[in-house]
Amino acid sequence: MGDTTPFDEMHNADGSVREPYRALAQWLDEQPDKALTLMQSDAEAIFRKLGITFAVYGSEEGTEKVIPFDVIPRIISAMEWRKLSKGIEQRVRALNAFLYDIYHRQEILKAGRIPEKLILQNSAFCPEMMGLEPARGVYAHIIGTDIVRVGPDEFYVLEDNLRTPSGVSYMLEDREAMMQLAPDLFSRIKVAPVDNYPENLRRTLESVAPANVSGAPTIAVLTPGIYNSAYFEHSFLADQMGAQLCEGPDLFVDGGKVYMRTTTGPERVDVIYRRIDDDYIDPLTFRPDSMLGVPGLFDAYRAGNVTLVNAPGTGIADDKAVYTYVPEIIEFYLGEKALLNNVPTYNCVDEEERNWVLANIGDLVVKEVHGSGGYGMMVGPTSTKAQHAEFKRKIEARPDNYIVQPTLALSTCPTYVNAGIAPRHVDLRPYVLMGEEVRITPGGLTRVALKKGSLVVNSSQGGGTKDTWVLED
Amino acid sequence: MRISIRHQLSTTPLPGSPNAVLHLLLTPQSGPTQTVESWSVEMAGIGNAGRFTDAYGNSVHLVNQRPPEGELVVTVEGVVTTVDRHGVFGRVGPGPVPALFKRVTPLTKAPVSLYGRFRGSKDSRIDVLHALMARVGEVLHSPTAVIQNQSQTQSGQSQSQSQGGPTAAEGEEAPPDLPRPPATDYAHAFIGAARALDIPARYITGYLVGDEDDPAAFHAWAEAYDEALGWVGFDAMLGLCPTDRHVRLAVGLDGLSAQPLRAVPAGDGPKEIGVSVEVVS
Repeated sequence: MGDTTPFDEMHNADGSVREPYRALAQWLDEQPDKALTLMQSDAEAIFRKLGITFAVYGSEEGTEKVIPFDVIPRIISAMEWRKLSKGIEQRVRALNAFLYDIYHRQEILKAGRIPEKLILQNSAFCPEMMGLEPARGVYAHIIGTDIVRVGPDEFYVLEDNLRTPSGVSYMLEDREAMMQLAPDLFSRIKVAPVDNYPENLRRTLESVAPANVSGAPTIAVLTPGIYNSAYFEHSFLADQMGAQLCEGPDLFVDGGKVYMRTTTGPERVDVIYRRIDDDYIDPLTFRPDSMLGVPGLFDAYRAGNVTLVNAPGTGIADDKAVYTYVPEIIEFYLGEKALLNNVPTYNCVDEEERNWVLANIGDLVVKEVHGSGGYGMMVGPTSTKAQHAEFKRKIEARPDNYIVQPTLALSTCPTYVNAGIAPRHVDLRPYVLMGEEVRITPGGLTRVALKKGSLVVNSSQGGGTKDTWVLED
Repeated sequence: MRISIRHQLSTTPLPGSPNAVLHLLLTPQSGPTQTVESWSVEMAGIGNAGRFTDAYGNSVHLVNQRPPEGELVVTVEGVVTTVDRHGVFGRVGPGPVPALFKRVTPLTKAPVSLYGRFRGSKDSRIDVLHALMARVGEVLHSPTAVIQNQSQTQSGQSQSQSQGGPTAAEGEEAPPDLPRPPATDYAHAFIGAARALDIPARYITGYLVGDEDDPAAFHAWAEAYDEALGWVGFDAMLGLCPTDRHVRLAVGLDGLSAQPLRAVPAGDGPKEIGVSVEVVS
């Protein structure tokens, strides 16, 4: 996997266009000069108008940026998607079964299939969740599975993201923008819609309301506030679902139930789609210094009077150290072989593996166990000798804080850059909803590393997005 | 033994707080070592409280007051009949799998000097636990205790106030007649050491019938898990397995998760007003 030529999603090795991209290739050929340049500047205007921005932590030039958008869509065939979505569904079902088990009888630990310490001593494990019965037995209702492609038929899951995955608003707005920019393309190519996501989200949330709710459940989206990098998305999703957007102080607990303050008096809340991290949701049970949460919220949840989405403690299932056991988890709970590959992962605690890692660090990717968003990671082949040395020191000091993986040759998609159309590396985050059924939006968010040769697709690190098309049969 | 208990605590939210929320772990449950004859928890707002069972099997009240007016006083009282089972609680009762209680928390980190000698011991688990109880008692009783004031340096503000018992003095040269560290320190040291030996151990809060040496108190001890006997209590402060003088109240991973009263806003923390534990006929 390390040093092979990356898979080009548009072209075969002989330069001919792959089947799923044929109609697009023809359309691109027909475009007059400068058409893409115009589209690109129109796109920028559309996104500014939509107000889609994100905040870069630690950036000095103002807090809000428009996320770069590439006008050339990424295309996945119906057959490829069927295979992918089956693999994703298998994974989220198994991980939810794992969460149920870990917070109940812990059979997988008793069976010795996962080291007990890895779970019980893990900071992502939430003892307060023990014995709780979440509605429909679902812990992670909203999941964003990060996938990379390295060959025509070869996909790897990088991360499972079962806490509070973000980015779904970009998936929706990318499609919206694309339909405005190139309506004619959509009449030529049949693309599976994504715009029913907010409605499906709403249905999913309603389906996990506490059993004692009569009538339509009241849903609230709980945000940390305007300074959060994903605030736009929180407000966008609340708006699209017709749900109330709340901050901690807008909600309160009374008599073991949760209410929101409204201009017409308190209104009972049944389901909370919370975009606040576990530690901050309730100062009475978790961090006492949290100003973002609602005191008593977790107790009201335990009392069965409100549903939290996702449940606290789901992070144990996407912990980077637990990740290596996902194939085992799928076999244990479903009795099936994993359909999607895991990236081989080296453990630095083992001395022999660590020595090998230290000797080969220039070829490897190093990630902090609890890091995310591309922070605290190093891609060996594109880093300097000084950075290699720095991460060697870090690994030696705290071997349990890092996992190491081979550098994957991420697939490339044609991308419109200054020099014209050129291949750039991409990944994919499909969004999964799990309530009374599993719903996977066709496609997802494609992130593209706009810098030539770069493998880091995070928007905080110079990445952009693309509309992702799943072709209909 | 038939025991009558009355316990009062209070907390004062900051003036101007719109809503005070309290989490009460103040309801004992009947089990192998005790039968709760009567029990009441009284405070303003209790009638509207949320009731539920927490992760450790405790019966919890979630009480709130909107807006709170001054000091909030909680009064619990009741009668519990206990039997002496030589500390054996057994396997019954609600609660999570025993393995959960191997999780090390910031309050239950024990130094290796406390448990190192028991590593790889050929003795039975029960024998090891008894020896460990003696070791913890010996180390914490000694004037140069290795685990000085652990709970006070690491726990939240309410910890030492809620556990009762005398408080260990700080300082280098401790005089020989120094009061003992609080019960919570013994419990945490024992639990930390047991977990380091891969034995599940949990924190127990409760009430202690007083005698000449040990006044009646809100008390804390530990329970450790033995495959054959189930949960067995160890009171390292008194150097014995709990008897019919011990009334079990709540279970937790440590003193923080088993706190009898938590409140937000915390104000200046929960206060003990008083506790009386009397044998009645």
